Amino acid sequence: MNVFALEFPPVSHLFEWPDIIFSDSLFAVNKTALIYLAAVLITSAIFLTAGRQRGSLVPVGVQHVAESGVNFVEESVVMETIGPEGKKYLPFLTTMFFFILFSNIFEVVPGIQFPANSRMAVPITLALVVWVIYNFVGVRAQGFGGYLKNSLFPPGVPKALYLIVTPIELVSTFVVRPFSLAIRLWANMVAGHLLLVTFAILTQTLWDNGYIGAVAPFSMLILMTGFEILVSVLQAFIFTILTAVYIGGSMHAEH
Amino acid sequence: MRRKGIRLSFSLLFAMAGLLFFAGPASASGESIGSCVVEKLEHIMEEGHHDDGHHDAEHLFHSLHAEEGATEEEKKAVKKNEDKLESCLEAPSPIIPELSEVIWGGGAFLILFVVMVKKGFPAVKAAMDARADKIREDLDAAEKAKTDAQSVHADYEARLADAKNEASRLIDEARGAADQVRSDLVAKAEADISEMKSRAASEIEASRQQAIADLRAEVAGIALGAAEKVVQSSLDEDAQRRLVDQYIDEVAGS
Repeated sequence: MNVFALEFPPVSHLFEWPDIIFSDSLFAVNKTALIYLAAVLITSAIFLTAGRQRGSLVPVGVQHVAESGVNFVEESVVMETIGPEGKKYLPFLTTMFFFILFSNIFEVVPGIQFPANSRMAVPITLALVVWVIYNFVGVRAQGFGGYLKNSLFPPGVPKALYLIVTPIELVSTFVVRPFSLAIRLWANMVAGHLLLVTFAILTQTLWDNGYIGAVAPFSMLILMTGFEILVSVLQAFIFTILTAVYIGGSMHAEH
Repeated sequence: MRRKGIRLSFSLLFAMAGLLFFAGPASASGESIGSCVVEKLEHIMEEGHHDDGHHDAEHLFHSLHAEEGATEEEKKAVKKNEDKLESCLEAPSPIIPELSEVIWGGGAFLILFVVMVKKGFPAVKAAMDARADKIREDLDAAEKAKTDAQSVHADYEARLADAKNEASRLIDEARGAADQVRSDLVAKAEADISEMKSRAASEIEASRQQAIADLRAEVAGIALGAAEKVVQSSLDEDAQRRLVDQYIDEVAGS
């Protein structure tokens, strides 16, 4: 695609990766799949190594990373949204946080530079898992009727408004929620990747056309790389905290 | 043991990183629209051979020339080839997840979740809880030690105060006793003095009386003798003595 003499690749070429092995099968492995596996390996390595260092009073290195993560999810996610009874979801939420974080962060890892969550696969899978979990929790905590009633007819709303509120709640809680959760993560990573690609291509083109012009887009590229690190962490946090909010909401009738 | 674990995990990471570099950005989804069209054309050329020597590719090129006079079958073949070529321009919707990626991503998450729940998370959490417990215990112990120290201090203060009170009581007592002793001594001394004085006075008085009596007797003797000699008369002795005493009293009274 030629935009102002720029060689900009078709968008699909930025996100779709050729199969490396098992081509054209259900188990075709491409770069995205490898990044997911890398996220598993990194997270497991951190936690298993940290677990082995048990007993040291002052946490250092990997142990510190693992403990900060757990502590962060516990204090800033679970305690803020669900409360002490949400601690049993801590392993799930911690796993989700680290998995999404490491899938995202490859966006800025030199030589790899691709956020795996800019593919819809994991965001939608996790969002559907979350959907199942929070509905299950709601039914278990309040009973099927109670959960439906509290979700569709939120207490404290004037009766007449239920005409408007109930259809909105029905659609938003049971239909839109998993998709908004998935798309929020996916779209943020897509946008971030496009931004970085855009500035990289601009930099290269202007560099080829007399060096000086490349300074501005290159500065932006550096700035945006920093920004995308923030976004990677933030989106992992947002996905996790929204999951906790949904689970908390299903657990307590008053929400 | 620990080092082994770290080395193992890092070697895994390096292997993974190598693999990712292998699938690096240079090979980004490889094909362009042009290469796709060429590939499809090759495909059409290869597969298009029919037994009758007739070739599908002809229909493709027919469509570039004229459509008039084409049979229904030819039109269909042209349409098929056109569709094949057009598929090169259609990018798959980026929002529809690819099934293989869902399988790998979902599987990866599942594996990670199992590893975390079974091993990673409990180990880390246990270490954190153990540390929290230890810190709590240490704080409790410190608090207890502080309370103990405070009670010991208070005890010490109390005892010190007692000792001070005792000391001042003793001093007061001693002072009182000393005062008592002094005043007793003074009183006794005074009593002794006054007794000695009165004894002395009575002794003096007795001596004086004795002296007076002695003197009187002496004087009376002398005076009697003298008077006898003077008057040469002998008054009876009692009358003489009475006269003399009278005389002395007169002398003493004057």
